Parts: sequence; structure tokens; C-alpha cells
Amino acid sequence: MTISRRVFVKSGGLALFSLGLDPLFLARAAFASNRPLPPLTAPARPVLVCVFQRGAVDGLNMIVPHGDSLYYRERPRIAVPEKDVVNLDGYFGLHPRLAALKPLWDNGSLAAIHAIGSPDATRSHFDAQDYMETATPGRKATPDGWLNRYCQHDREHQHTPFRAVAFGPQLPRTLAGSAPSLAIENLQTFGLRAPRQAARDRLTRAFEELYASSATGLLSSSSQEAFEAVQLLRRMNPTQYQPAHGADYPRGRFGRALLQIAQLIKANVGLRVAFADVTGWDTHVNQGASEGQLATRLSEFGQALAAFAHDLGETMRDVVVLTMSEFGRTVRENGNSGTDHGHATAMLVMGGPVNGGRVLGRWPGLHPASRFEGRDVAVTTDFRDLFAEILARHLGATDLAAIFPGFTPDAARFPGTIRT
Amino acid sequence: MKNRIVVRCLVLSGASPLAGAQHAAPLQFPRPTSAPVTDTTRPRVLASRDSALHALNRLAYGPRPGEVDRVAAQGVMHWIDRQLSPDEIDDRLLAQRERDFAILQYDRRELARLFVETQRARRERTREAVPEPAMGQQGRRLAGQFQQLAVMRAALSERQLYEVMVDVWTNHFHVFFGKGADRFLTPDYTERTIRPRALGRFEDLLIATAESPAMLFHLDNWQSIAPGATPPRLLRQRALERMPKGINENYARELLELHTLGVDGGYTQQDVINVARIFTGWSIARPQRGAGFEFHDWAHDDGEKQVLGVRFPAGRGQDEGIRLLKLLANHPATMQHVSRKLCRRFVNDGPPDGCVDDAAAAWQRSHGDIREVLRAIFRGPDFWAAENIRAKVKTPLEFVVSALRAVRANPDTVPSLAQLVAQLGQPLYLRVTPDGYAEQEDAWVNSGALLDRMNAAVALAAGKLPGVTSDLDAIVPATTDRDHLLASVDREVLGATMSENTRDVIARQIADISDPVAARALAVGLALGGPEFQMQ
Repeated sequence: MTISRRVFVKSGGLALFSLGLDPLFLARAAFASNRPLPPLTAPARPVLVCVFQRGAVDGLNMIVPHGDSLYYRERPRIAVPEKDVVNLDGYFGLHPRLAALKPLWDNGSLAAIHAIGSPDATRSHFDAQDYMETATPGRKATPDGWLNRYCQHDREHQHTPFRAVAFGPQLPRTLAGSAPSLAIENLQTFGLRAPRQAARDRLTRAFEELYASSATGLLSSSSQEAFEAVQLLRRMNPTQYQPAHGADYPRGRFGRALLQIAQLIKANVGLRVAFADVTGWDTHVNQGASEGQLATRLSEFGQALAAFAHDLGETMRDVVVLTMSEFGRTVRENGNSGTDHGHATAMLVMGGPVNGGRVLGRWPGLHPASRFEGRDVAVTTDFRDLFAEILARHLGATDLAAIFPGFTPDAARFPGTIRT
Repeated sequence: MKNRIVVRCLVLSGASPLAGAQHAAPLQFPRPTSAPVTDTTRPRVLASRDSALHALNRLAYGPRPGEVDRVAAQGVMHWIDRQLSPDEIDDRLLAQRERDFAILQYDRRELARLFVETQRARRERTREAVPEPAMGQQGRRLAGQFQQLAVMRAALSERQLYEVMVDVWTNHFHVFFGKGADRFLTPDYTERTIRPRALGRFEDLLIATAESPAMLFHLDNWQSIAPGATPPRLLRQRALERMPKGINENYARELLELHTLGVDGGYTQQDVINVARIFTGWSIARPQRGAGFEFHDWAHDDGEKQVLGVRFPAGRGQDEGIRLLKLLANHPATMQHVSRKLCRRFVNDGPPDGCVDDAAAAWQRSHGDIREVLRAIFRGPDFWAAENIRAKVKTPLEFVVSALRAVRANPDTVPSLAQLVAQLGQPLYLRVTPDGYAEQEDAWVNSGALLDRMNAAVALAAGKLPGVTSDLDAIVPATTDRDHLLASVDREVLGATMSENTRDVIARQIADISDPVAARALAVGLALGGPEFQMQ
């Protein structure tokens, strides 16, 4: 690099000041200035993979309370028939299209938490996702996401560009903030494109210098993170990757994302938190029961998670996958054999450190009197207690108060998903 | 510097330049009451190239070569006034290019027929479950053309502000092109619902979207019915089982949250339910019968309803929906919410409250005349404030279109540019969620997306995008004189915003390239992919 980081930070800072931009970027640039050049490998473990089911998954058809006759009464057209449910504990069962996850349940590396959600009552997808990603329900002004705040707090592992990676075209709100994080759509094509390596290197250098000298704000920090990652990837050579143990990822964006996360974990480049989206859960119309729209989505979801665990094999002992969704759906089916926006939903936690094979959280039941506003599954576990437990007991976070502002995580309320 | 321009202009117009006083005095620029601003009344400072570039960046998809000077010469306020009256702008060249787009020859009825036929053919083939777009090959070709058409119009139209507003409303009233019947309803929605009303009255636009088959399908309202309602003619048992059984809240909620009041607009869950009841029966004819709007009396909930404390008496049928839409269109929360979105688009990702208030006041005065709301924004002090100049990152669509304009590229009907915009994260009409694409930079700026923009810039400058021809020779002639090359790249491609650093880096990079055409391609590619060009 022809321009030192110190100069870059200085000029970036000046420009920011004159533009009156968010001081967030100053913090991000300062982060960058302290980082030495990335080493090729770094101790990777432990790893947290967060999966966001955007659109509000119907928790009741994912982890089915088949032992409750009310479930069948409220959903005459879309309940999963008793005979199809993959039974878990006599009362709850998996949707049949999640059967690929049953072996993980049986070997104790998969748990579910039911009736989990936000203390905020919003039924807006966008607000609820925002609240879940910032972990500050009811507060929209929070500038950063909780995963990013975890990275800010984890100073020990900050010297790798691959510490926090989102797979997809956008950086999710969860990872927005002052700690560097990457958005990668495809590891193989990540970087400048040119027919020969020499031309590629030259183009990379040219743009790197351009952005180092003239960019400000988010353009500056994001481009710098990009070029560091390109440099590291060049040595890693991601084009050749074969999933291990014959793991078969489903086609589609979500399967591809999990495959690439597995690839990064195995490459030992210091991945600490990864994030992937999976969409298509807003089933207002004809959501189906054992078959149909929701079943198709669950099938891709379950197969991808199972393939990921399979692919990583032994390495799963250091990995926890957490799935989340902004809220659940109405207990009663609507007029179109679908469900409208509800309140609590179910989340899954998978991996070696998981205290699996059980449905955790206090189940409030489906009786109208115990429902939220008479219509939705009530929230008995604040999602922040689950997130906090995983950060504390899996990633070893110590300063939970800074990661969850306005909330006091309490080990006594942790749902108990991680073995202690 | 720019600050001074604005201040001087404020002084000329007799208003106080003090920041705090600006919003109390509603308009800072000399405001023509009847005649447009002429050259004699135009404050001399507005001839500045900076003001022209700013207006071209925000009201248009960036300047074409030479355009900054042309707008500066005619007076930027005069140009803005013209843009607010698009019907008076000659756009014959665009009309000519539109003739190449076969998709415009199909109306909704024909697309519906094509859709039904393709579905039938596919059922008959009963192949294995290979996911294939519903319209088959012809449908895929038309769909690609439809997306490309948006890029082509944005790049080539002289009615730039109009095209920008079409994009604004396309996202505000977003329908998902990939969902079922919206695969054939979306082109009609764009052509006949959004485009004719993009600079009209908000109320008309809102009602038109509410009645559009595309929106009724996208947000499921077409099958929302009063609980227990059954159609008058007898259906077979199986059809009866598949019949909707009650209301669907999807449209009602997004109407309040996204289209009108905003999520903090003060409505309750009970309001959402009652809005859904009001729209029961708003439905769509079968594709075989043209898939137009239909009101089904039998499906409508005839009971009395209350929304936002307003009583909707029983038995008013379809009219209560229209009454509700008018109420919502002119509600103060709607004015604030939509004005804020417009200010976010035109002024700053974090729009100043004063700017929003000015826009909302113009809304109130003009009963929701979109042109007057925009005029208030463009004449307000915030639009011209130094901190808002080049302070917004371009969206992928804005980036691609402004790059095309910068090199005067000429796209054809091959959907390569639409694909490029999609690769950069913004597949047109295909956002999965009903909120439309975001305006803020954090939705678009990240490591992967930036690298993709650099790749796109290099490909465009090297003439490697299929179906795109550009006349680089006329704009930036290939020359061995490096200073001359850099000067024309700065002036024509970057609108004279090139920083010293950028100039140095590009000069170093092309120093050892002997082929002038290759050197030019690299210089233009670096300029388009560099940081200055990402800003507007």
C-alpha cells in the first residue's frame, strides 16, 4: 500500500468532520488503523452462525404442538396432521419436511425454543426485524446491530477481515456498526475481475489506492474491508471446494450461503460470526399443511441446516447455529388458508455445544385466554435472553450490558440452550 | 463555496439567510407566481455549475456530457421548472426507442392470455418440477425487456424528473414481479397505474394503486372476503372448499404502514382489521376475462366500521373504500410520512425536519399535488445546503444509469443492463418485501457491492457490456496526451468533481500503458468505479 493507514484515517476524519457525518464511521476508521495486516490463518473457534427467517415464520407449523387439540381446531385446513408430524416429545413435533433435522435432535445437538419473541407488540415486519437485529425492541434510533456490538466488544479477535461475514447482497442491520464486517454474495467471484492474475492485481491496487485516498464515510470503511478480504482470499483460493461427507446442500441462495460459511470455517481464516437470510415465510395465503408453500420453504431450510452439520462433521463441536424470525403468526388460520401476523414464534439452536433434544422455554398454551391480545402465541422468552445466553456461554462474551443496551440479561432467565 | 452561493441567493431574494429562520419563511428562492423564472429575473449565482450539477444529480440520473454547462446557461431554476412540467418537454427520441420494446405492444388482456396459455402448456407437459418462469420463453423475453425498459427510459428520457418520480412511486407502491399473477400484471401496473400519475395528485395515485389488479394480487386483498360470504352462483364442492373463508389483513396493514400513515402514524390493530373489512370484495376478474378490477358485492362486509375514530356507516359498499383512501391520502400523518420519504430521496438520507415540514405544508396547500410538494423541496434552503451537496450514495439503479449517461451509452432491448442492476443488488420490480427498495446508503454500501460496482465500471468503460454502445470517442478522445485525457475525464465523466488524489492515482495507473485506447478505458473505468462517482 502506498498510502499509510494513518494518513487515510486522518484525511478520512477531516472530510467526515466537514461533512458532518455520523461519528460511527470515525470509530470504524479508527478500528482499521489499529489492525495489522491480516494473517493467513487465525484461531477460528468458536463460531456463531445466525440465520434470519425473514417474513415471520409460522412457529406453530414448524415446531408443531400436535398434542394440543386446540391446534387442530383453530387450523382446520392448515394444521399438520398428527400422522405426518415427526414426533419429538409427545407434545411437540417437527414439520415432516424438517425430518432431515431429526438425527441432530436425537444426538442432542439441536434444540428448539418455543413462545419466544419480542416484548414489543408491533406486527410490522420491518419494525420487528429492526428490533430483533438491533436487540432494542421499541427503539428505532439504535445505530448498530447486536452482532456488530458483540464484535466491538470482542477486541481479541479483531485482526481478521473475515471475523464477521454476511452472505448476501446486503449487510444486514445486525452487523451494521463500527466494527468491520463483510458482505459477500459469492466467495469465488469476490474481487476485481480480469482475465489474468496480473491484470487483476493491478486493477485491485488501483481501486484500493483510489478509495484509500478519496473515499469518506461508509464508502471508505467498506472498501478497505473489501480489499483486505480480497488479499486474504487470493491466498486462500476458494474456487475448489467440495463439501465433506457427501453433504448435499439444496439449490438456492440459502444452501449456497451455508456452504460458503462452512467453507470459511474450514479455511480457518478467523470467522467468528456469520449471517445468512432465508426468505419466503410471509404465508398469508394457502400456506399448506404437510405439503404446500410453507412445506417447500421448510424443506429447503431443514436440508440446508442438515447439510451444513453434515459437511462440518467434527468441526460442529465449535459451531452454534441460531435461527430467528421477527414474529410468529396467528393461531387461527385466516380466510385464505393462511395466517396473518402474530406474536411469538419458535427458534432453533444447533451445534456441538447445544443442550439439545428438547423444546425449551415456557409453553403458554394455545387457549384464547393465555394468548397475546386473544389471538397470538404469547411471548414467554424475550429473544434477548436467548441471544445473550449464546454470546455468553458459547462465544464467551463478558460485557453483555454493552451488547444489550437497556436490558439486563440474567443467567437465571437463560433458556438453557448451551451446555455449561 | 457552495454555502456562499446559497447565502448570496437568499440575500438576493430578500429572505433571512439565518438557518433558524429559514423554515419560518417558507420559500427562499424568488418564486414565480405565474410565469416561469426567466433569464432576466434569475439570480446570477444560480448559473454556477455546482448548482446545475447538484440539480442534475438529484432531479435527474446525473449529467450527460456537456449538460452541466447547458443547464447552468439556461438557469437551474428555469430547468427545474421545466422538469416539473414534463408534458412540455419534447421526448420524441425516447418515444422512438420505446417502439423497439415489444412488451409495450401487449396490454393486460393479452399478457393474461399468454400467461394462461403458458400455464396450460406447462401443465400438459407435466415435466419434473423444474422451476421455470410462468410465461415460458416468450414470457422470459418480455420480462427481461420490461426491466430493461426502466433502465433505458431512465438513461435516455429528457423528462428526467418524471422518470425519477416513476422510480419513487414504483418503490413506494411496490408490487413483486415474481409472485403469481403479478408476473403478467406488473407491466400494466407500471404503464397504466403509476406512470400516468407520477406527477399528479397523491390521492389519485393511491386510489389507482388500491384498485389495481397488481396490488390487489400482491397483497392478497383480491381474496379477502367477509367471513362466511359465498358467491351467488353455486360452486362445486371442491371449489367451495378452496374458497376464501374470511378477511386477509395483508393489504390493510401495508396500506397504513407503508403507503400512507407510516408505522408510527397512530393506528391500532383494530384499525387494521377494520380497514381489511372495508376492502373486502375488492377483487380481480379471472385471467381468462382480462384480470381487471372487480368489486364483488357478495364478498363485502356490510357492517359498520370505525377507522382512526371515523365512522363508516353500514351498507355503503365499494364507496367506503374510496372514502377511506381519500381520508388516508389527506391525513397529516401521511403528509409527513410521504414528504419525509421524498426529502430522503432528494435531499439527504437523514432529511432535515424543516425540509419535511415545508413539503408537508405545500401538500396541505395544494391538496396533495405532487408537483407542488416537489417544488417546495427544490426551492427550500435544505436542498441547496452545502452539507447536502454530493452527500448521498447512488443506488445501484442510479449508479448504472448515471454511468450510462456519463458516457452517452445507447442501450438496446437486450436486458444486460437490467441484469447489471440486479447483480449490484437491485433486481428491478423484484424486491421480495412490500416496502420497495431502500433509499439510504447503508442498504447499498458494503464490501461486496462496492467491488461489484468497480467491476461494472471497468466493463462499461471497456465496451464489454452486451447490447450497449457508447460514443466514447466523441466524449473523451483517446490521446497520448495524458493531461488532456485526465482533464476530459474529469470534465465530461465526473462533472469536474475529480479530487487531486484521484487524478494522481489514475495518472500513475495509466502512465505505463502505451495504447491510448486501453489507457482511456482504464481511466474512465477507474473514474466511474471510484469514490467520487458513487456520490450524488
